[in-house]
Amino acid sequence: MSVDREMKILIVDDFSTMRRIVKNLLKELGFHDFQEADDGVTAWPMLQEGHYDFIVSDWNMPGMTGIELLRRVRADQRLKETPFLLITAEAKRNQMLEAAESGVDGYIVKPFTANALNDKIYQIFKRRNEQKNNQ
Amino acid sequence: MACSTRIDQKLVKALLTALESGEHSKASALLDEMTQIRESELYQRVSELTQNLNQTLNGLSDSTLLLQTKHDIPDAAERLEYVINTTADASHKTLEAAEKALGLMASLKQELLTSSSAPMSETLQNILNQVSSELTEIMLAQSFQDLTGQVLNRVVLIISSLEQSLIHLIDQSIHDYAAIPNRDERQCDTRSAEMKGVGPNVTEKSKQGAVQSQQEVDDLLSDLGF
Repeated sequence: MSVDREMKILIVDDFSTMRRIVKNLLKELGFHDFQEADDGVTAWPMLQEGHYDFIVSDWNMPGMTGIELLRRVRADQRLKETPFLLITAEAKRNQMLEAAESGVDGYIVKPFTANALNDKIYQIFKRRNEQKNNQ
Repeated sequence: MACSTRIDQKLVKALLTALESGEHSKASALLDEMTQIRESELYQRVSELTQNLNQTLNGLSDSTLLLQTKHDIPDAAERLEYVINTTADASHKTLEAAEKALGLMASLKQELLTSSSAPMSETLQNILNQVSSELTEIMLAQSFQDLTGQVLNRVVLIISSLEQSLIHLIDQSIHDYAAIPNRDERQCDTRSAEMKGVGPNVTEKSKQGAVQSQQEVDDLLSDLGF
């Protein structure tokens, strides 16, 4: 299975350093179509106006947190199928359970490695493909 | 806490008797009475505490707490924000350098591939890949700025909320927050602290009297004949 390198990705994090790191890692993995938002409040209208194939978001952000953004995405008729990856420093089991219940596709705890990101993206799209084929 | 309560054995016995004899409304009335007694005792204690606190606060004339609330606490938050901004700047510089170096590595690879008809040796390929991978490691290590920044942002929030609580307490006392004077920093104290070293001048206040660039240092020393 190969992941579509042309997909449009929205990177959401309040720290510009982390957005830059994620962007560079994704670039190395062959992706090149990115947009950035510094929290859920900024991300939401971008998601409403544009089409994104993948959302990579932090959890702890002012304005709207990543988990709130995830819930909103899952509750939106048009956006609800968008794959959503959380990359966060939040490492409590309860938080992961909450994220899973809210419909997250993948969860990476910071600090993370380039391999972890690569593996997670592969897993997310593999699972998505399998789900699609089973339908 | 040991306390003289007005809920006595007589009242408890009456409640037990009422319950045993199935007099529920009487039991309920007795329970209400007990609850009221407890509540009034609680209010009395809170009021005593508040009074004590007020007396303590009122006795604080020109105390360190007032000065700390007005000057040191905002100063601490400002210093932490300096750390967040400085580490963010450093991380961005490192990321920029790593990005450029990765770009140069890609160009180098391309150049080696096109400039020679012989295929690139495996050793050379390994070295190029290793350098790229090390550059990625440098880039990833910059995530410390996000992690430490999140911690510091939280501490800044705690400090600000503590500051607000203290301001509120001061306002409840006879003191006027706005009238708390500036620190009485005698010149010799400031000088003595400066001679020990005060670290980077990061707050607006500490920047007063500090130079902003090496040029200013050179100009100053040159004025002094150096």
